[in-house]
Amino acid sequence: MPFETAKAKPALSLESSPGASAYLAIRDLIYRTSGIYHPDEGLSVLITHCMHRTAALGASSPSQYLEHLTTRPNRAAELRLLLNEITVSETYLFRYPAQLDALRNVILPQILQVKGFVGPKCLRFWYAGCSTGEEPHTLAMFLLEEKERLLSGWTWDILATDLNDNSLETAGAGIYAEHALRATSDGMRRKYFKDVGDKKLQANDLLRAQIRFDRVNLSDDSQMLFQKRVDVIFCRNVLIYFDPASKRRVVQHFYSNLLPGGFLFLGCDESLFHEDDSFRLVHFSGATAYWKPAAAQAVGGRQ
Amino acid sequence: MNGKLSQLRAQIEQLDSLETAPAILKPLLDMMRLPSDQIKLEKVIELVSHDGAIAAQCLRMANSPLFGTRYIETVRSAVMALGLERVRSILLGLCMNRLLPQSTWVIAPDAFWRHSLGCALVAQRMAQRMAQRIEYPEPEKAYLAGLLHDLGFLVNSVLYTEDFRECLRCAAEQRAPLHVIEAQLLGFTHCDSGQLLCEHWGLSQEFVDAARCHHDASPLPVAGPLANLVRLSDLLCRVRHLGYGYDEIMGIDLRGDAAWQSLVTIYPALRDMDLVRFTLDIDGAMEQIVETVDSVFGAKSIASSTTN
Repeated sequence: MPFETAKAKPALSLESSPGASAYLAIRDLIYRTSGIYHPDEGLSVLITHCMHRTAALGASSPSQYLEHLTTRPNRAAELRLLLNEITVSETYLFRYPAQLDALRNVILPQILQVKGFVGPKCLRFWYAGCSTGEEPHTLAMFLLEEKERLLSGWTWDILATDLNDNSLETAGAGIYAEHALRATSDGMRRKYFKDVGDKKLQANDLLRAQIRFDRVNLSDDSQMLFQKRVDVIFCRNVLIYFDPASKRRVVQHFYSNLLPGGFLFLGCDESLFHEDDSFRLVHFSGATAYWKPAAAQAVGGRQ
Repeated sequence: MNGKLSQLRAQIEQLDSLETAPAILKPLLDMMRLPSDQIKLEKVIELVSHDGAIAAQCLRMANSPLFGTRYIETVRSAVMALGLERVRSILLGLCMNRLLPQSTWVIAPDAFWRHSLGCALVAQRMAQRMAQRIEYPEPEKAYLAGLLHDLGFLVNSVLYTEDFRECLRCAAEQRAPLHVIEAQLLGFTHCDSGQLLCEHWGLSQEFVDAARCHHDASPLPVAGPLANLVRLSDLLCRVRHLGYGYDEIMGIDLRGDAAWQSLVTIYPALRDMDLVRFTLDIDGAMEQIVETVDSVFGAKSIASSTTN
């Protein structure tokens, strides 16, 4: 007699959930248009977001909400609202230690080895869509900490760009409340921040001097062509708002902005839908990135 | 190297502790090769009831909070509550767990089971995903191959206890792949000893190949799909904190990996498979896989089962 395999958690069972097919269609729509993917185990999160939007619209069922996303005249606006709901998350400094670990152990050693033979010993990093600057400040501290070790003899340039002037202003000031610094150690706080009262800390002159902030529109081809010879690009939860054709164009720009052997980091659940032909997905311990292959080079050392 | 392997083969053949594989291992392995809808419930219950420690473990798990509040006191209800997947994991795991006395385990048993069962579940998922595109009817085999691929650890633990301990220490310290350090310090790897043990136990060639080839970075078309699947699953587990108890320094390019290239050579229809989506799926499933592994072979349950 055959028998069923028990499930560990009676989490939201798709088969029994009303509107399952509508939610699966929404999952695929989100993946196709934004690259954000909700695996089966994470589907309940997506459903919660959809239910918020369904209630806000006064729609009566998942399939009716699907219509709002696909056939109604305001579908583009609704998709944007749903994506806002999905990606809403405040960020903080040192939020992605696995990414720094990958930089320290795999990516930078590999880039340094190639660049050590040719050209000036300078690294270029670009945060495309830097928001209020938590991530570029984290990278700057990380690089300063490696200055006497891995990066001895090297210089770097961090460009952080955004379209939103208010974000850029906040990022440039480098003032953060306690909440944004909750993963920042006391040692790092003492070394790179100063107290500006009101329970806030400001990046000191040394730290702020590491980053250039600028306004760049990723859809503006002339601005994009201008960014050259970059080693690592970070672009988190920005491309998801682009339509497929624009997204492809931005990704192609990124590809030519990068030096061969360079890397592109996206948001955690974000992907280049169906893997862009030119970039290669690379897995690191606890992180993923896209790699622009250099001729005759394999990624990632010993396996 | 060949001399070393002949020596190893002779040692394995003389090894008492590994020779006396538990009596239920063979029927169990035979049963696990069947697709799940052909497995007889009565047969499973018989195998579980055959062994007190295994029955106790099943009852303990079935009564854990993970499976609801109803009190379960028969092997039959426990097997039905746990489901085939967990029961066979318990059976196989405890079987192999008992091949060695606790004192000779060099690698932490829970790390070993996390990795082995993690690989089994990832390989099974990968096979299921592939089966949507190609004729690949054997996700059960993929599961088993994943579970058994690192049996060489057991051999190395018994025959070269101190040297293998040193390999693990060095590998963890350098965050390097274990097989690289084994090759340096032992002159052979757990792939070699795993292959020999699989042969000694009379496992079929596919399982022997999966044990032998899962760290080969050169193309493996001759080794067949299972070895390639297991290599990819092993890599995915190791970059998602399901390695040998430490995080290695590694970056893997699945599409560029020899094992994926071999699979595409064997099954050209896989060329268009959305590998990114698959790995995002696996990332999403990892938490559940870790939970399953811990519920089956958590450090606590291993410690208590060996005292039974």
